[in-house]
Amino acid sequence: MTQPIELKGSVMSFTVLKVHSDDIGQVQHALAEKVQQAPGFFQNVPVVIEPTVTALPPTFLAQLMEILRQNGMMPIGLRTQDEAIRQQAEFAGLGIFDIETGKRARAERAKREKGESCAAAPGKLVLKTIRSGQQVYAKNRDLVIIGSVNPGAEVYADGHIHVYGALKGRAFAGAQGDETARIFVSRLEAELVCIAGLYILAEDIPPAIRGKAVTAFLQNEKVEFSELP
Amino acid sequence: MSRVIVVTSGKGGVGKTTTSASFSMGLALRGHKTAVIDFDVGLRNLDLIMGCERRVVYDFVNVVQGEATLKQALIKDKHTPNLYVLAASQTRDKDALTKEGVGQVIDGLKEMGFEYIICDSPAGIEKGAQLALYYADDALVVTNPEVSSVRDSDRILGILQAKSKRAEEGMEPIRENLILTRYNPERVEEGEMMSWDDIVELLGVPLLGAVPESEDVLNASNAGVPVILHEGSPAAQAYEDIVARYLGEERPQRFLTAEKKGLLKKLFGK
Repeated sequence: MTQPIELKGSVMSFTVLKVHSDDIGQVQHALAEKVQQAPGFFQNVPVVIEPTVTALPPTFLAQLMEILRQNGMMPIGLRTQDEAIRQQAEFAGLGIFDIETGKRARAERAKREKGESCAAAPGKLVLKTIRSGQQVYAKNRDLVIIGSVNPGAEVYADGHIHVYGALKGRAFAGAQGDETARIFVSRLEAELVCIAGLYILAEDIPPAIRGKAVTAFLQNEKVEFSELP
Repeated sequence: MSRVIVVTSGKGGVGKTTTSASFSMGLALRGHKTAVIDFDVGLRNLDLIMGCERRVVYDFVNVVQGEATLKQALIKDKHTPNLYVLAASQTRDKDALTKEGVGQVIDGLKEMGFEYIICDSPAGIEKGAQLALYYADDALVVTNPEVSSVRDSDRILGILQAKSKRAEEGMEPIRENLILTRYNPERVEEGEMMSWDDIVELLGVPLLGAVPESEDVLNASNAGVPVILHEGSPAAQAYEDIVARYLGEERPQRFLTAEKKGLLKKLFGK
């Protein structure tokens, strides 16, 4: 039997609507004018919105989507690096595209891949205990948890993981392969500790350091521990 | 002001229905108008433990689907005029319940002046359990002192904090309380069971009370009488304490430490 669905990566070209103004009235007027010139051309065209201004009013995106729909267009996504606008997009149900075409972006990505820290992105901070069945992932950065990681919970970070509490679940540092990533815990009672894909199970963790404040790191392709001072 | 209390655990067979029955009976005996709803559609048990199974005409699903009114479906308890039971359906499945339907039933009970509405959750973390906890103001998390039960309680606490109405609408979070059932201090001392302080530390939820392991619980279930009515039983005393503490009374914890047996007791047994 053939599978009912299949996921494939594909490169498509979209119409990008650059928005240079944060005045919704102005934008609406300009759009109406454009559409009037060639009404058929814009019918059912998928559109990706790319604001070039920062700090849009909170309802701007929602209003813009409504206006686009009234003009027959189909807003499907948003392209921006601005965190506040990205959050608006999530509420509005828009997909988010990264701006990563320029030379600068490529250079930055290369730098990240080399393992250099990215000063602009602080670690992801979680101020509660991670319970059984819950997962937390800090993409491209460190993960800091003030609370415990309970049995059956999983925490991932592309950078380091810090747990100010007991680590009783599973922790995966350097999730994209950074072998210099480390795990720091106030109390080690983990089910599994993994760095850059190399892991150690609870039963193989030396009993002497169980329950202690330790750091885990990779040495000769093995997960090693040392007590924190 | 009425409060909606979910009795939940994740794991099955730990004592949710026993706790729902005794807790609601305890509230009613203290003069509070209380309703207890069985959310375990398809596997109804609460009516058996409450001893009203022969008087079930209409059930929770009938009300949710508009086939009966709340007044018709509520069963008055034989022991106290303050307690009413809303039985689950034995023949439908859990898809018969909807979020809106459950919300209407709970609103209806509030309008009828019920002070406490106890929702007896089914086991698991699926739709039935999520519906039982959705409208809760308070939660009683029932746990046995063993690793798998504690882990499942941890899981359901995560769901309480993420998928309840209070969480979704950013209101003050559900007040969580831990109830340890089948607690046996002797076996804890021998290392066969988890100790209460380890469990409280792991779950991070205050202990409302511990119910000691007791044959009375099984006997009471079979007789169709909530164990809290079993005078002189340690389990009854434990539930009585739990109700009192829930209502704000300060009572020292009992049943957490093993009774020191004297030489005579050791020689002659209990």
